[in-house]
Amino acid sequence: MKRLPQALLLCAFAVLFAGAGYLVYQWRSSDLQPDPVTTGQMVLAAKLPGLDGKPHPLEQWRGKVLIVNFWATWCAPCREEIPGFIKFQDQYGPQGAQFVGIAIDTPERVEPYAREIGINYPVLVGGLEAMDFARQAGNRTSVLPFTVVIDRNGKVVTATVGVLKPENLEKLLKPLL
Amino acid sequence: MFIRLILLILCLLAGAARAAEPELLEPEKAFKFSARLLAPGELEVRYEIAPGYYMYRDKFRFGAEPSSITLDASKLPPGKVKKDEFFGDVQIYRGDMRFVLPLALADDRVSRFVLKAESQGCADLGVCYPPQEQKAEIRLAAFSPAAPAAAVSPFAQPAPGAASRGESTSEHTMIAELFKGGFWALVISFFGFGLLLALTPCMFPMIPILSGILVPHGEHLTHARGFALSLVYVLGMAITYALAGVAAGLLGTMLSSALQNPWVLSSFAALFVVLALSMFGLYELQLPSALQSKLAVTSNKLHGGHFASVFAMGVLSAVIVGPCVAAPLAGALLYISQSGNVVLGGSALFAMALGMGVPLVVVGASAGTLLPKAGPWMETVKRFFGVVLLGVAIYLVSPLLPAVAHMLAWAALLIAFAVYLHAIDPLPHGAPGYRKLFKSIGVIALLAGVALLIGALAGGRDILQPLAGLRSAVAPAAAAPKFQRVNSLSELENAVRIGAGKPVMLDFYADWCVSCKEMERFTFADDEVRARLSQMVILQADVTANLDEHKALLKRFELFGPPGIVFFDRAGTEIKGLRVIGFQSADKFAATLDLVLR
Repeated sequence: MKRLPQALLLCAFAVLFAGAGYLVYQWRSSDLQPDPVTTGQMVLAAKLPGLDGKPHPLEQWRGKVLIVNFWATWCAPCREEIPGFIKFQDQYGPQGAQFVGIAIDTPERVEPYAREIGINYPVLVGGLEAMDFARQAGNRTSVLPFTVVIDRNGKVVTATVGVLKPENLEKLLKPLL
Repeated sequence: MFIRLILLILCLLAGAARAAEPELLEPEKAFKFSARLLAPGELEVRYEIAPGYYMYRDKFRFGAEPSSITLDASKLPPGKVKKDEFFGDVQIYRGDMRFVLPLALADDRVSRFVLKAESQGCADLGVCYPPQEQKAEIRLAAFSPAAPAAAVSPFAQPAPGAASRGESTSEHTMIAELFKGGFWALVISFFGFGLLLALTPCMFPMIPILSGILVPHGEHLTHARGFALSLVYVLGMAITYALAGVAAGLLGTMLSSALQNPWVLSSFAALFVVLALSMFGLYELQLPSALQSKLAVTSNKLHGGHFASVFAMGVLSAVIVGPCVAAPLAGALLYISQSGNVVLGGSALFAMALGMGVPLVVVGASAGTLLPKAGPWMETVKRFFGVVLLGVAIYLVSPLLPAVAHMLAWAALLIAFAVYLHAIDPLPHGAPGYRKLFKSIGVIALLAGVALLIGALAGGRDILQPLAGLRSAVAPAAAAPKFQRVNSLSELENAVRIGAGKPVMLDFYADWCVSCKEMERFTFADDEVRARLSQMVILQADVTANLDEHKALLKRFELFGPPGIVFFDRAGTEIKGLRVIGFQSADKFAATLDLVLR
């Protein structure tokens, strides 16, 4: 088949361009992703009001395996994953895991919900400006839920957009603890 | 020939199969907002909700500025009921959503107003977007009692910062609307739609294929035979589309979202680049001649085989042309997959492909007399097709490219096109008229390309107004007030010292910070605010690069990042209680500034 080399050439072209397209796509996605150390520092440097109205610096949890979960009461998928977090806080809290919820919401709505479902970890409340903070941590489209896991050295291990499956989270946490 | 095409298709499929994980859309793309005046007192609000996204009916809030305009949002159309584990039954909207809000005007002198629409939505992937406020500027002037005839041309312009409106009617919503008609009306509309598509560059790759089918018959080609051959070819194409329609019915929404996948888009763009390069003569694709020999051999042997291969060519052509008609196809497939109406979907797409094939059948029935005769002028036409194909490739991948790359690609294409048209070669004395015309077109393309290039390099990101960036650099006074840049603590201290006696404002800014941009557009540009800012030293720290100095600066003020505005009194010490974090409207911000200036 003497036309085969030409076919290969075409194929090579297609793969080349598809590859280039993919690289550009990757480069665009990683574009705004800050490096894990600075992002970790930024998260730990944050200070947000708790349900008590007083500001709580995240610095106080440095040295723990910190799971920062951005959520809201109006966000159904967020509510889906919170019971799992409550369970894990009980289970892995003694080993140094610390969940912190940052609600893009108002205290009036967060408080009854947290009480009803029995959230056993600190919940801080930020308005939409807390979304800018999440955006800086790699949440490019500003969606909820968004969860950042920070190791004991203050380095970001993962930043997950969307629901974090319990089995994945467990796999992630165990080696860090 | 076949092996080559099949290989090509296989490697495209291999690319598509390793698709990247789905990317979430920016909220303004997922929920594309626009509004226009339908008639006096009737405002049409439209959300083009991307496939796989939905909005909550009870989360919409509408308001207008000035408040002399009132909107009645009490009668939103019913949505689809979604059972939610936590919220119970909630009503949601999907797809292209329009509703009419009655509008009451307390003051006739108002000629325009700003519509503020608050909404909230989620993606099926399991994420939600925070409530967002979008704005559109609505002009009422078109409906003043003096000019009732203007009612046919209502328009709305998005305010700066609002989601851009894009094309007034995108192809795929047009199709979704068509489906509301009856079965036959629908099939006929699709046929007409196919006819329209036949006029687009999408059909270019088919012309050499068809001529390859017809030419071997040379003088012996009868009208009937030409008609039969081209009809078989078109049927092959049409049946492929019909199958795609049926598959969509069975596969669900997967297919239409697959068409938006970056892998698929890049692969299709790559195919168009390959086709374009052959148009430029970089290598010979030899589609017609390869087919010629193949067909000559088979048609001499037996007729059935001949028709079968022509049919197969039609099938393959449908695959080649598919990406080009992806936009209307996506709309149709989306509907079919949602309705699950397989028969309707298949028939509609079949009719569309038949419409696309009509010009080809006409060429066939003319027994090749309508086929363009080969000649040197064909080279020019081929190059033109090549440019158009490259344009299609850029268009296909444009959603994946950053604005800069998009603009540069167009600039490169336009400039290369101009050079091909001899735009920079001198015209020989007594050149024929068509060469003068070509040169004129070339010069226009050259200028447009250069404008895009300069615009892109100067920081312009709007492909329709590439040089807008330069304009604002010439007259900055029209926009937000000019900030003095500070990059480190020492620069800040210097600036505060030099500005002694005046209050100082320090604004933290970053390119990714949405509220910073809103502040710039809506608040800092406000006359009241600017009047107050002119009495102050205004500094801005752009911390986009996140250098160590930037971090130190943020840390000094215990900020984790922008947005954040800090004020210093005339003595140069920070006024602690007055920090502004996040967006503040012009009125509120002016009040804050008054406190600083006091």
